[in-house]
Amino acid sequence: MIKYTVKRLLQSLVTVLIIVSIVFLLLRMLPTDYYFTEDQLIKFTDAQKHEQLEAAGLLDPIPVQLLHFYADIARFDFGESRRIQNGVPVVRVIGNKFGISMKMGIISVVISLIIGVGIGIFQTRHKDKLGDHIGTGYTVFVNAVPPLVSYSLVLIFGSRVLGLPQLYSTRDTVVSSILPIVCLSLGSIAWYAIWMRRYMIDEINREYIKLAKIKGLSEKQIMVKHVLRNAYVPLAQYLPGSLMLTISGSLLVERFFSVPGMGPLLTDSINRYDTNVVQTLIILYSTLSILGVFLGDILMMLVDPRIRLSDKGGSR
Amino acid sequence: MDAEKTKAVNEENINEDELFRFVEYSPESAEITGYSDYSYWKSVFQNFIKKKSAVILSIVFIALVIFSFVALAIGKFDYKTLQPNTNMAFQKPDSEYWFGTDNLGCDYWCQVWYATQTSIKLSLIVALGEGILGVAIGCLWGYVRSLDRFITEVYNIIQSIPTILYMTLIALMVGQSFKIMCISLILFNWLVMARNVRNLVLIYRDREYNLASRTLGTPVWRILTTNILPYLISVIILRLALSIPGTISLESTLSYLGLGLGVSTPSLGLLIRNARMFFLDFPYLLLFPAVIVSVVTITFYLVGNAFSDASDPKNHV
Repeated sequence: MIKYTVKRLLQSLVTVLIIVSIVFLLLRMLPTDYYFTEDQLIKFTDAQKHEQLEAAGLLDPIPVQLLHFYADIARFDFGESRRIQNGVPVVRVIGNKFGISMKMGIISVVISLIIGVGIGIFQTRHKDKLGDHIGTGYTVFVNAVPPLVSYSLVLIFGSRVLGLPQLYSTRDTVVSSILPIVCLSLGSIAWYAIWMRRYMIDEINREYIKLAKIKGLSEKQIMVKHVLRNAYVPLAQYLPGSLMLTISGSLLVERFFSVPGMGPLLTDSINRYDTNVVQTLIILYSTLSILGVFLGDILMMLVDPRIRLSDKGGSR
Repeated sequence: MDAEKTKAVNEENINEDELFRFVEYSPESAEITGYSDYSYWKSVFQNFIKKKSAVILSIVFIALVIFSFVALAIGKFDYKTLQPNTNMAFQKPDSEYWFGTDNLGCDYWCQVWYATQTSIKLSLIVALGEGILGVAIGCLWGYVRSLDRFITEVYNIIQSIPTILYMTLIALMVGQSFKIMCISLILFNWLVMARNVRNLVLIYRDREYNLASRTLGTPVWRILTTNILPYLISVIILRLALSIPGTISLESTLSYLGLGLGVSTPSLGLLIRNARMFFLDFPYLLLFPAVIVSVVTITFYLVGNAFSDASDPKNHV
């Protein structure tokens, strides 16, 4: 188990390193003007620029720069933002934003977990009846209709019928977060409902459920103690990943409701060629998503002791 | 009792030559014994036709696609010659402007239908490209053992970065146009298809009939195309059917964020982006594009599901 964990973590580290190096090299292809803030660009002469670049080691050959870059990462020094926020350390730029995204994201994960799994259970219990069809209708709608359209519908309904604010405002965070959170949850509710229903129906037709029925267990006991626990195992894998990715926020939702979160930061920083912010964000996102999958596997193993990741003998 | 005994004795006495007689060889009857009426695609079609709702939905879908061409032709304005005219802004739908006008006073009818057409065209091209690339790579990935590690690593690297990041990089470094959008979407969409195909190829690769086929000297490409591929058809179709609403959604998201098609190509995302500030007061600006695109995506989603069920050989009797 420990051996497996260590091996897996080392592999992930290599993957992250490859991703980061690719991005680093891509960003070095940009003109050097982008290393200066806009003020500096106007004031500095060419000689001054050259001097500055020389001092910062940005005119060294690329492999040398890459090594420096690795050394900086190892010391957790991610440099300063040059264009988004003038001269502010990248860590602080991110620190100001990720709280909002994460708060909304976690609330939405919890809501969609409860409602989605609830819908899934409801559909299973009313299989092929009206309730099931309504649930399927919802999941088809959410999956097929572009999110932009469903968000717009939520927006119209929320602001016209319920009188909720159209845009996020820092003054009234609770009320103005309602619509963004609903939009964030729409898709994941449908996702949990579809898979919960699928796995539960698979599980209900198993032999041990028949045995449980013969033994005289009540419907509720069978559902909660047997079907639900087994059906949840495959879904458990995605839980840590989705929780961790809440940090990165949702680009579309945050743009749509003008939430000052992490979502738009990446595109903004690429848009304005803020190389340090881009690099840091990519390190952050790739680490999070790889770690998410890894923790998901661990969680799956904890939920279902029959699953063993380290022992793959015989399964090719 | 006696009669039976004598009969048995009589049969024993009959010569073997009299018991069996030669049948004349006829090529027609030889063919008949091995003949079965089963044809894969015919059976798929029959299963599909049985589902009335799916047939109706596919008619709706095709009608809408055809109408998107007709609509542009019968509209009173041509998209390419639209002139902003602020005096005419926010006209409610009437006999002159069938879908009203937008905030710049341009006719909305031709913009909506042009956007619908763009979305459908883009998603069909992407689905086709994704299908070819995904199936080809998936087959190699699953079948050729020595490639497995390499492609898995490539998959992990591409997969662990959000799509939106690539699209941002491409939009800002390469540019924005219909062609670039098609290529970049194909380049990232093959991943899911290839993975699904790979998993199935792994399952069927070492079945006994393939082992037999290999020992008989069947070349690899024939094993892949005739022995394995038929099992994959329903999964491939399902994936393609889901990819079309997916592409339309992604395109609208990207265009909304300003990373999709260029500003000169009207698309769903762009229309909603322009209408974002106004559609609370002028709901028709949202209603028309939203309804049309939702009908396209929902019908295709359901038809694709039904067709995939029909094409699964396990459901054929």
